[in-house]
Amino acid sequence: MFRETTINDIGCDHALDNAAAGFVMDEDTFRAFYERTARGLWAYLTRVTGDRTLAEDLLQEAFYRFLRASATYASEAHRRNSLYRIATNLARDARRRSLARAAATLVGDDIERVPSGLDAAAAEHRTDFTRAMTRLKPRERAILWLAYAEGASHSEIAEVVGVRATSLKPMLFRARRRLATLLGRAPKGEKS
Amino acid sequence: MKPVECEWEAEVLSAVLQSRWPERVDDALRAHVAACTICADVAAIAGAIDDDRETMRASAVVPDSGRVWWRAQMRARREAAATAGRPITAAQVIAFACAMGLLGACFGATSAWFQTELKKIASGVAGFKIPALLPSAAALIAGHGVLVLALAAALLLVPAAVYFTMFRD
Repeated sequence: MFRETTINDIGCDHALDNAAAGFVMDEDTFRAFYERTARGLWAYLTRVTGDRTLAEDLLQEAFYRFLRASATYASEAHRRNSLYRIATNLARDARRRSLARAAATLVGDDIERVPSGLDAAAAEHRTDFTRAMTRLKPRERAILWLAYAEGASHSEIAEVVGVRATSLKPMLFRARRRLATLLGRAPKGEKS
Repeated sequence: MKPVECEWEAEVLSAVLQSRWPERVDDALRAHVAACTICADVAAIAGAIDDDRETMRASAVVPDSGRVWWRAQMRARREAAATAGRPITAAQVIAFACAMGLLGACFGATSAWFQTELKKIASGVAGFKIPALLPSAAALIAGHGVLVLALAAALLLVPAAVYFTMFRD
């Protein structure tokens, strides 16, 4: 299960006065869900796309499509999985549409901006990490982020990125190997 | 076949995320990680990703939830209105095109001079003699310039109107 699933609002989906917009979710439920998920989703999209501005656009589009889907969910985890699946598909489509742009940004322009308040060593680690991440394939970035930043289970990751659960373990293994190698922390003699 | 997961993986991950790795874990776990590629990779990357997650979330600039909700509602209503209006627009365009066709057919069937001119143009086209067409076309424009221009404009404007109403979204 994804981390920070602390507020259980199962059963709060009432079709109120949103019929004109076609939303199943009411405003209060949506805003509470947004507050719980938006920052994490933005971080995920930024890491997967390598572009902060694009991540913000995709974030809004993902929430819009999530609302328009008009689906009801059995749990907060299902709802969150659905949102991340929409976001992952949007990121994939955006990359297909503008491969050249993605390549330009993945070299690392504004994503390497170091937030103020970090000391020199932390800033250097962050820059190294960003560079290593940008050298991974988008799907590798997605599954690593979901596994280790979002704490998602293998079945949840498989559902979000659209692969079979049985295929995920070797994919995760290879992605982990590559990132560890790029970070220079792989055990000797094990470089992939 | 090379193993891709390890039974100690979850324990290593837990130790890293709770900042117990590497000082505050059992010697057995440390020894295992030293010998296991899978767990060594988990120990190497999990902390880095978690640190990055915290930094990214802290520096995230996301739009206000109220603004996102309001925009989504406006967009959904706009799209719903466009979808609802589309069949009416299509019916209007089809009706207009039918009326124009009927008008043209009546005009062509009842106008002797138009049939004569049309035959001249047709014979000119059949002979592939473009210069021969010019006098006929010039006579047609000179005699009925306004009508010819109106028909030409309709031929250009109707497809453009159909395009913009049906496909602009």
